[in-house]
Amino acid sequence: MTTHNAQASVLNENKLDGNRMSTSKRSKGIDYWLPKLVLSPTVAITIVFIYGFILWTTILSFTKSRILPQYEFVGFEQYVKLFLNDRWMGALANLAIFGILFIGICMVVGLVFAILLDQNIRAEGALRTIYLYPMALSFIVTGTVWKWIMNPTVGIEKFMHDIGFSGFSFDWIVDPDMAIYTVVIAGIWQSSGFVMAIFLAGLRGIDTSIIKAAQLDGASLFAVYTRVIIPSMRPVFFSAFIMLAHIAIKSFDLIMALTGGGPGNATDVPAIFMYQFSFTRGQLGIGASSAVIMLMGVTAILIPYLYSELRGEKQ
Amino acid sequence: MSQTKVNDARYKAITGRAILYAVLVIVALYYLAPLFLMIVTSFRSMEEIRVGQLIEWPKTFTFDAWAAAWNQVQIGAREDLGLKPYFMNSIRMVIPSVLLSTAFGALNGYVLSFWKFRGSELFFAFLLAGCFLPFQAILLPHSIVLGKMGISGSTLGLVFTHVVYGVAFTTLFFRNYYVNLPGELIKAAKLDGAGFWMIFYRIILPLSTPILVVSIIWQFTQIWNDFLFGVVFSDPNSQPVTVGLNNMVNSTTGEKRYNVDMAGAIIAALPTVLVYVVAGKYFVRGLTAGSVKG
Amino acid sequence: MSGLSIQNVKKSFGQTHILKGIDLEIPDGEFVILVGPSGCGKSTLLNCIAGLEEVTEGRILMGDIDMTYAAPKDRDIAMVFQSYALYPNMNVRKNIAFGLEIRKMPKQEIEEIVDRVAKLLQIENLLDRKPSQLSGGQRQRVAMGRSLARQPSVFLFDEPLSNLDAKLRVEMRTEIKKLHQRLGTTIVYVTHDQIEAMTLADRIAIMRGGEVQQFGTPQEVYDEPANIFVAGFMGSPSMNFLRVEVGGADGQYHVLVASEGHTYKLPSPPTQADLSAYVGKQVILGIRPEQLTHVMPHLESGPFVTKVAVKVEVTEPTGADTLVLTRINDEECECRVHPAEAGKPGEMMDILFNMEKAVFFDSETEARI
Ligand SMILES: Nc1ncnc2c1ncn2[C@@H]1O[C@H](COP(=O)(O)OP(=O)(O)OP(=O)(O)O)[C@@H](O)[C@H]1O
Ligand SMILES: [Mg+2]
Repeated sequence: MTTHNAQASVLNENKLDGNRMSTSKRSKGIDYWLPKLVLSPTVAITIVFIYGFILWTTILSFTKSRILPQYEFVGFEQYVKLFLNDRWMGALANLAIFGILFIGICMVVGLVFAILLDQNIRAEGALRTIYLYPMALSFIVTGTVWKWIMNPTVGIEKFMHDIGFSGFSFDWIVDPDMAIYTVVIAGIWQSSGFVMAIFLAGLRGIDTSIIKAAQLDGASLFAVYTRVIIPSMRPVFFSAFIMLAHIAIKSFDLIMALTGGGPGNATDVPAIFMYQFSFTRGQLGIGASSAVIMLMGVTAILIPYLYSELRGEKQ
Repeated sequence: MSQTKVNDARYKAITGRAILYAVLVIVALYYLAPLFLMIVTSFRSMEEIRVGQLIEWPKTFTFDAWAAAWNQVQIGAREDLGLKPYFMNSIRMVIPSVLLSTAFGALNGYVLSFWKFRGSELFFAFLLAGCFLPFQAILLPHSIVLGKMGISGSTLGLVFTHVVYGVAFTTLFFRNYYVNLPGELIKAAKLDGAGFWMIFYRIILPLSTPILVVSIIWQFTQIWNDFLFGVVFSDPNSQPVTVGLNNMVNSTTGEKRYNVDMAGAIIAALPTVLVYVVAGKYFVRGLTAGSVKG
Repeated sequence: MSGLSIQNVKKSFGQTHILKGIDLEIPDGEFVILVGPSGCGKSTLLNCIAGLEEVTEGRILMGDIDMTYAAPKDRDIAMVFQSYALYPNMNVRKNIAFGLEIRKMPKQEIEEIVDRVAKLLQIENLLDRKPSQLSGGQRQRVAMGRSLARQPSVFLFDEPLSNLDAKLRVEMRTEIKKLHQRLGTTIVYVTHDQIEAMTLADRIAIMRGGEVQQFGTPQEVYDEPANIFVAGFMGSPSMNFLRVEVGGADGQYHVLVASEGHTYKLPSPPTQADLSAYVGKQVILGIRPEQLTHVMPHLESGPFVTKVAVKVEVTEPTGADTLVLTRINDEECECRVHPAEAGKPGEMMDILFNMEKAVFFDSETEARI
C-alpha cells in the first residue's frame, strides 16, 4: 500500500495537463492537413507529368505537328499515316516476334531453373547470384557485349572456324531475316535470371504443409509440381508475365546498343520508331501517335493486372 | 534381393543429383561467359586480339585498353576524352536523384499507409498505374516542359526527370512495406502524444532500414542504367555513361578496338555490379517487391 | 481522473454503419467491460473514445469537457492493444518514457516514473531489453507500464490478455483487478473471455451489431438478461431456450414441457415474470443448465421444482460436473449434474427443473417478459 501511495503521489505531481484542453467544436489540427500537404507534390507530379502529359501526347497525335509542336488538328491522319508506314508495321511485327519468344522462353527457363534450384542445392546462393547478375547491368552494356560475341567476323563464328569447325555459321546479327532473334538471345540472357528469382520466391512462399499432404497422398515429385505447386503459383506467373511484357514493349536500349535497329530496319521496334520519328526525323505527329498506340498496348495488358491487384487489396 | 534394390535406388538418386548439378553449373557458365570474355578481353592488346582467339588468356596483361576507355578515346566531338566525363555526369545525376526519389517515396508511403484520407487509396491506384508507364507516352511533352523550365540538356533536368518518374516506384516500395507494419503502433504513438513528424522520425524511420536499402539500390540501378532519358534529355555536357558508352562503341571512325569497348562496358557496369555483389539480397527483394505480393 | 459520457455515438465507414448510436454513462473510477461477437464494433468504439477515429455523430465527454473532436493526445487517455504495439526499435525504458518525453517532462522526473512503474509491474530487470527479447507476458506488462506511466484519466484495454496462455491470463487478470483497486482509474476493457468479464467488471456492456443490448452489473446481466441475445451470450455453457405454451390464471401460471411422451406443468414464479398476457400463447423459456440438476432430496420439495424424466443423448464431463444433453419439447437442452449421477447415453434419468431463476422471452420481440 505504501508503494502505491508513493507512486500515486509522484505521478500526481507530474500530472499531465492534457485533459484541461477543451475542444468543443470541430477543429482540424495540424495532423489533419499535414499528410495532405506532404503528399501534394506527388499528387501534382502524377496529375501533370503522368496523366497530363499522356493527354498532351494524345492531343499532339491529332495535330499536324512536324519539327515543332503545333495545334492544327487533323483528326486521325497521323494514325492513318502510321499504319500505312511499312517501317511501323515492321516494328510491330518485330515486337510481336520478340515479345512472344522473349516472354515465353524467359518464363520456361525461369520456371525450370527455379524448380531445379529448389531441390536443396548446396551452392544455391552462389548459383542464384550468377544467374541474376545480368539484371544489374545496363541493357547498353549487354548489347555491347553480345554485339561483339555474335559478330561473325570476330565472335563465335570465327572462334568455331578457328578451332576447326569451318562449316559453322552464326551470322544472324547481320542477316535481316534473323537479326531479331539475336535481340531475343541477348534479352533472355539478361532477364531470365530475374524471372527465376520471382518464381523461386513464389515456390518458397507456398505453404509446405500442402506439399507434405500431397506427398502423403502418394504423389510423385513430378506430380507434386505439376498438380499442386505450379497451379497454386498462378498469381506469380501473372506478375512475371506483366513485368516481362512491360520490358518487351519498352525495349529500346538493348536494341539500340545491339543492332541500332538494323541491319536496315530489320530490328526496328515501336520504341525506336517513336524515338526516331519524334527526335531525329522531326515528325512529332507520327511520333506521338505511335506513343499513344504503345500506351494502349501496355494498358491492355495492365488493366486485368491492376484490377486483380486492387481487388486483392480490398480483401 | 532387397539389398540390390536399395542400392539401385541409391545409385539412381546419386546419378540424378549429379546430372542436376551438371546442368546447373553449365547454365551458370553460360551466364558467366560474357562477363569472363569482357574482363579477359579488356586486358589484351589489340594485336593479340587480331591474331588470337575469341577466348584466350591474355599473353601480356595490359591496362592500355582501360586507360584508353577511361580518358583517351575520342567520343563524339567533345574535348575531354574518354568515358570519364560521362561517368562523372552519371554520378552527379544519380546521387541527388536517388536520395530525392527515396525521400519522397518514404513520405508518400507513410502517408498512404498511416494517414489515409478520403481519396488517398484512389490516388495510390493511379500512382501504381504510373509504375508501368511506357515513357514514350510522355517524352514529347516532357522535353517541351524541360525546355520551358530552362533545364533541358542539363544534369538538373535529368535529376528532375528521374525523380518525377521514379517516385511512383519508390512510393510503391514503401507503401507495401509499411502496410505490413502493425497499425496499432501508430495508434499507440498518437495516444502518447506524438504528431505526424515525430511518429515518422522516431517510430517509422528506424523500422525502415531494409526498405530504404531496397529503394536506394533499385533507384541507383535504374537511374545509372537508364539510356532513354539520357539520350533524349541531355546534351553532350550532361550525357550519362550509358550514352557515352553507346557513342563510343558505335563511333565509326578508325579501327574497332574491342578491348577498349569491353573496358568501357565494364567501367559503365562496375557501379551497379558492385552494388549487386555487396547487397544482392536487397537487389533481389527490390526486383520482386513489385511483382510478388505477400 | 474523470468519468466518461458517451452520448448517441455513431460511426460509419462510407455507407457501412458500424456504431448505431451508443449511449454509455461511466462514472469516475468504474471498470466497464465491453463484450459482444466479433465485428460488432467494440474496437471501433474504443478508437472513437481515444480519438483515433472521428465519430460521425454524437458526443464524447470526459468529466464535463466535450472531447468529441479533441486530438488523441489531448484526451489524456491511454490504451493497451491486443498486439501490445510496443515500439520495436526502442528498449523497454524508452517505450515507457516515450509519451512523457513527448510531453516535455524533465528527464529526471521521467526516470523516476519509469522506475516506479517498472517496480509496480516487476519489470525492473527488463528495462534495457528490446521488445523482441521479451516473452508474451512480459510484453503485456510493458504495454501496461507504458500506459500507466502517463497516469491518464481513462484506460482503454482492447483484448489485452487474449494473446497469453491460460495460466498467465488468470495471473494478469488478478493483477489488473488489483491495479484498478489501487489507482481507481476509469477503465473500459474489451474481452471475449466470459470469466474475465464477470470477475473484472463493475458493469458490463453487451454489444451487438453496433448497438448496446444491455448495460448492467455482472449479476444483473446474468440473472436478468434484457433479451435472448444477452441471455445466450453471457454464461458458459449457454442458457437453454425452449418454446413453451403458457397455462394457468390469476397470478398462478405454468408452462408446459414434454419429454419422452409425458407432459409436465412447470410453475412460473410470480417474481420472475408476469405471464398474464401470454396465457394460451407460446413464449420462450430461458433456463440455465445449472438449474437443471440430478435429483437432490433437499431440493425436490421446493415450490418451483419439478422432476422430469429425460433421455440422455450425450454426456460431456467437465470435471466438477457433467453436462447431460437431452431433448425437451423436441429442442436440445443441457443439464448440469453430478458426475456420479449422470446416466449413460440412451438411458433415462430424472432431472430436477428448478424454475426459481427461469426467465421468459416474448417469442416475437425476443425481449424479456
Ligand atoms: N477502417 C475501416 N473501414 C471500414 N470498415 C471498418 C474499418 N474498421 C473496422 N471496420 C469494420 O467495422 C466492424 C467492426 O469492427 P471492430 O474492429 O470494431 O470489431 P470488434 O467488435 O472489435 O471485433 P473483434 O472482436 O473481432 O475485435 C467490422 O465489420 C469491420 O470490418
Ligand atoms: Mg476488436
